[in-house]
Amino acid sequence: MNSDLVPSAFLSGISAHLPEQVETNQDLDAEFPDWNMSKIGAKTGIFERRIAAESETAADLAFRAARKLFSSGICNESEVDFLIFCSQTPDHIAPATSCILQSRLGLPSTCGAVDVNVGCSGFVYSLALARGLICSGQCEKVMILTAETYSKIISKDDRSNRALFGDAAAATLVSSQCLAGSFPTYRIGLSVLGTDGTGAPHLIVESGGFRQPSSSGKKPLLFMNGPEVFSFTLKVVPQVLNQLLERAGLSLDDIDLIVPHQANAHMLNFLRESIGIAPEKFVIDLADCGNTVSSSIPLALTRHANLFLKAPPRRMILLGFGVGLSWGATLLTCEYPNAL
Amino acid sequence: MNREGFFKLLEEILEEQSDSIAGDEELSQFSGWDSLGMVAFIGVADNKLGVSIAPADLVNAESVGDLLALVAAKLD
Repeated sequence: MNSDLVPSAFLSGISAHLPEQVETNQDLDAEFPDWNMSKIGAKTGIFERRIAAESETAADLAFRAARKLFSSGICNESEVDFLIFCSQTPDHIAPATSCILQSRLGLPSTCGAVDVNVGCSGFVYSLALARGLICSGQCEKVMILTAETYSKIISKDDRSNRALFGDAAAATLVSSQCLAGSFPTYRIGLSVLGTDGTGAPHLIVESGGFRQPSSSGKKPLLFMNGPEVFSFTLKVVPQVLNQLLERAGLSLDDIDLIVPHQANAHMLNFLRESIGIAPEKFVIDLADCGNTVSSSIPLALTRHANLFLKAPPRRMILLGFGVGLSWGATLLTCEYPNAL
Repeated sequence: MNREGFFKLLEEILEEQSDSIAGDEELSQFSGWDSLGMVAFIGVADNKLGVSIAPADLVNAESVGDLLALVAAKLD
């Protein structure tokens, strides 16, 4: 088949939204005086994070991110024909939060809507799903809303996780046509996705579903075994990257930028060394927002938007990994403006 | 890598002074031996020594000697 006739999917626009409340390392220092937050901050690379208000949900943050994307003029509400809401902190057990957001955002009733419960690899998974919807001819414009409020599932006494995670949302437009906007347009290429459910206990909110209902008295709280999650990351992510490069017929030298899930700088520096890529080609950008789970990659991308418009990386790889345990890698190739 | 080289790496990981680790210390005496310290140990073992350390083995390690034995067993 002529490659020109193969349908393509493009990442055409991204907007992010952070809640207003800032929690700094100094705030955590005051709460946990026996803990050396400046030392922790120096290691994790996280100095402050945003926390959603008590009545503010992931859907509220996603709504704001989506509004910002529409305001950019890249498309309007009536054009969206599919909505993916990627979150592990939905508004309700039922209905899907994507259905509520379809109504709140004024998207047409012809728009499909689905919730995707994936965490740190959620953006990569959602891109792969959106690409599938577009390349199969089902849709022309898919909106991905990644949004998390992990602050609501972290115990106030859990200083380690409070130091790492922050709340955020991002809205991403995936389209069948190359659209010029406030972010360079990237053709979404191959994805490599994977799962190892044997690692589920290492990063889990055990209660609050129906295995351990909230009525049992156990609050839904996040547990993370950091060393286990890191060990998995160090083992799996370089392999996934190599699989993607092999399938794309590329080498690491062909890649201008890797944007990994922004877990924490401590882990990411070891991962970068293990991959063997220069620091300037490996994005670590979470000092003022922390680990924002499925929004961490799109959030990092929006922070580079102005730079990318002037000098867009020709090829980027996005790497997602975490809760599941789950992972994914996707290749992005710049279409507009033309890469140097 | 010899014992002294390993102790130097451990001093860096735990952010302890140079030549402060002799090999008979309990890990519980180091403030740096926390979750982040374990992550650093796994990362350094992988990147600098080329050995993969299971986190479960770290949880069971009680002393510097236990860590040395873990790495030595992998290097053999």
